[in-house]
Amino acid sequence: MVSFDLSDDQRMISETVKKFALNEMRAIYRDCDEKGTIPPEFVSKAWELFLIPNNIPEAYGGVGEPRSVVTSTIIAEELAYGDFSLAVCALAPATVVYPLIEFGTEEQKQKYLPMFCEEQFKAAAAALMEPRIDFDLPSMKTTAALKGSEYVINGEKCLVPLAADAQVILVYAQTDASAGAKGVQAFLVDKGTAGMELGEREKNMGIKALDTRKVTFKDCRVPKANRLGGDAGCDTAKLINYTYIGLAAMATGVSKAAFEYARDYAKEREAFGEPIASRQAIAFMLAEMAIEVDATRLLAWEAAWRLDKGLDCDREAYLAKQYAAEKVLMITDRAVQILGGHGYIREHPVELWLRNGRGFATFEGLVTA
Amino acid sequence: MKIIVLVKQVPDTETKVQVKPGEKAISTDGVTFVINPYDEYAIEEALRIKEAKGGDVTLISAGWDKAAEALRTGLAMGADKAVHLNDPAFLGGDAHSTAVALAKAIKKMEYDLILCGKQAIDYDNHQVGVRVAELLGIPHVAVVTKLELQDGKAVAHREVEGGSEIVETPLPAVITAQKGLNEPRYASLKGIMQAKKKPLEAKKPADVDAAPNEVGQAGAKTTVLTMTMPPERAAGRVVEGEPEDAAKQVVKLLREEAKVI
Repeated sequence: MVSFDLSDDQRMISETVKKFALNEMRAIYRDCDEKGTIPPEFVSKAWELFLIPNNIPEAYGGVGEPRSVVTSTIIAEELAYGDFSLAVCALAPATVVYPLIEFGTEEQKQKYLPMFCEEQFKAAAAALMEPRIDFDLPSMKTTAALKGSEYVINGEKCLVPLAADAQVILVYAQTDASAGAKGVQAFLVDKGTAGMELGEREKNMGIKALDTRKVTFKDCRVPKANRLGGDAGCDTAKLINYTYIGLAAMATGVSKAAFEYARDYAKEREAFGEPIASRQAIAFMLAEMAIEVDATRLLAWEAAWRLDKGLDCDREAYLAKQYAAEKVLMITDRAVQILGGHGYIREHPVELWLRNGRGFATFEGLVTA
Repeated sequence: MKIIVLVKQVPDTETKVQVKPGEKAISTDGVTFVINPYDEYAIEEALRIKEAKGGDVTLISAGWDKAAEALRTGLAMGADKAVHLNDPAFLGGDAHSTAVALAKAIKKMEYDLILCGKQAIDYDNHQVGVRVAELLGIPHVAVVTKLELQDGKAVAHREVEGGSEIVETPLPAVITAQKGLNEPRYASLKGIMQAKKKPLEAKKPADVDAAPNEVGQAGAKTTVLTMTMPPERAAGRVVEGEPEDAAKQVVKLLREEAKVI
C-alpha cells in the first residue's frame, strides 16, 4: 500500500530545508534577481546542509546515506519554495554526482566524488539542452564519436547553469544515431578541456540570478574512460526521468510560494468593504490553485516513489513534469492576477515567480531529483 | 566541559493559536511543533563552547512523546545525547513543577554549565531556567546576549534598559539565552543521519527520584481556570472634517464615549 507519512529523517530534512529556504533564500532572492548574481556566502551556507554529500558513499568521503528520490523531491520542492534560481545553483552539482553514484565506474567515482565531499562548494552541471525548438533524445544533435582511445564531441548546448565555474560538466551526446535514445550517452568533461568553449552569459526572461551559458564543443576530445559508466555506459532515459521529477518538484515549490502569497494577500486586501478573498471570482481561483499545487506534488511523489521501488517510471515522470510545467504557469499567472496592479510591480514577488515559472515548459536537465 | 541544555518543544511561531471552548490549553490540531527558538540559541551556544573548549552537550526536555522530535533535531544540530522526561506524570505542569522535574533529573547528572532559552514562546513564563538554578542551589544570569567562559567563571552580558550589564558568576550556573547571543545553525543532513545513532534516553519519575505528586499537574503551584481567545478588535472609527473640528470631535468622543480622558 501507499503511505504519505514522512519518515523521521524526511520530516527533519524537510523542516531544516524549509527553514533554510525561508530564512536564507527569501531574504536575498529579490536582490539576486535584480543584480543577476548569487552571493558566494549563500552557496557556502547551502553547502553546509550536506544536501548532496549526504548520498555519496562513505568510501569517497560522503555521509553514505542511500539515495531516496522521494527525499530528493521533498528537498527540491522546499528549496524552490525559497527561490528557484538559488535552488538550481545549490543543487547543480547533483546533476553530475547522482549519475556518477548510479552509473559511474569505480575509477570515475574515485576521481570525481571526493571533490564533492569537501568543505567548499564545487560547481558542476549537466549540459543537456540544445538551442533548438524541441527536446527529444533520439534527435540530439551533439555527437560523440569514438576515435581510438578518445571520444570527440561536437555540438552546441544551452542553458548550462554555473558553466563558467563548473569543475566538470556532464555532457549528453549521441554516440550512435541508429540506436536512437539509447545511443545518447553522458561524458565527463573537465573544466578547461580544449574544444569546449563557453558562450556569453544567457539573457533569460526569468532565473535572472542564475548564470547560464551556451557551451559549444568543437572537436572536444575526452579520454574514452570519461564516458559515464565506461564501456557499459549509462541509462540516459532513466537519468532524464530523475531530471523530470526534479523539475516537477521545483515547479511545485514555485507554485506553492505563489499560491500562498496570493491567498494571504486576498485575505488581507479589502475592496468594497470586505477582503477580496470573500469574492467568488477570487476564491474560486485560489481553490483551484490549491488543488493544482497538491496535484503536481502528488504526481512528482508517485514518480519518485516508483524509482525508489525500482519500478519503471518513464510515463509517471513525464506526466509529472508536463503537468507541473503547465500548472506552475497557471498558478503564478493567477497570483499576478489576484494581486491586480500590485502583481505587475517588482515590490511584490509574484511577477518574479511568473517569469521563473514560465521556464518550466522549456527547462530540461537543469536539476535532478 | 559538561553542558546541559533545557529544551522545550513549542508550536511553530507561524501557528495560528486556537483554543477550543471549554479547553484549558491551546489546541494542538494541525499544529507543527519546533524547538523553542530561544532554546535554539542555548543549543547553539553550547555547541560553540564545546567546539572551542571540548566537552559534551546533553539536552533535556520534559514533555509528551512528540517532544522527542525536538530532542532529535537538537541532536542533529550537534548535541551528543538527550534525556526525555516522558511519562504522563510529567505532563500538565506549570513552571514550578516542570523545573522540579528537570532539576531532579539534572541532580543525577554531571554538569559545569546549564543553558536554556530566556522564555518559551508558548506560555511565556520566563521562569523554568531561573527556577532550575534555585532548586539546584546555583547562580543564574538571565536574558544573556554574550557569554564568555574563563577559569571556572562565566562572564555574561545582558541587555538592560539604556545599556548593558556585565555579570560575572562562578560555575556551574544557569544562563538563559536572549536573541542576539548567536545565530543558530541548521541541522545538516549529515547531522540528521548522525543523530539517529545518538542516545536519547526516556525517563520516568522514579528514574529521577521524583514522587509522581511533585511533578506535572499534581505538583503544579498554579491552576489554569479558563483559557479563551482574546476578543476580536472592533474596527476603528474615522472622524472626518477639517482638522480643527475633527480634533474637537475626537476629544469629545474620548471623554464621553471612551471615557479615557
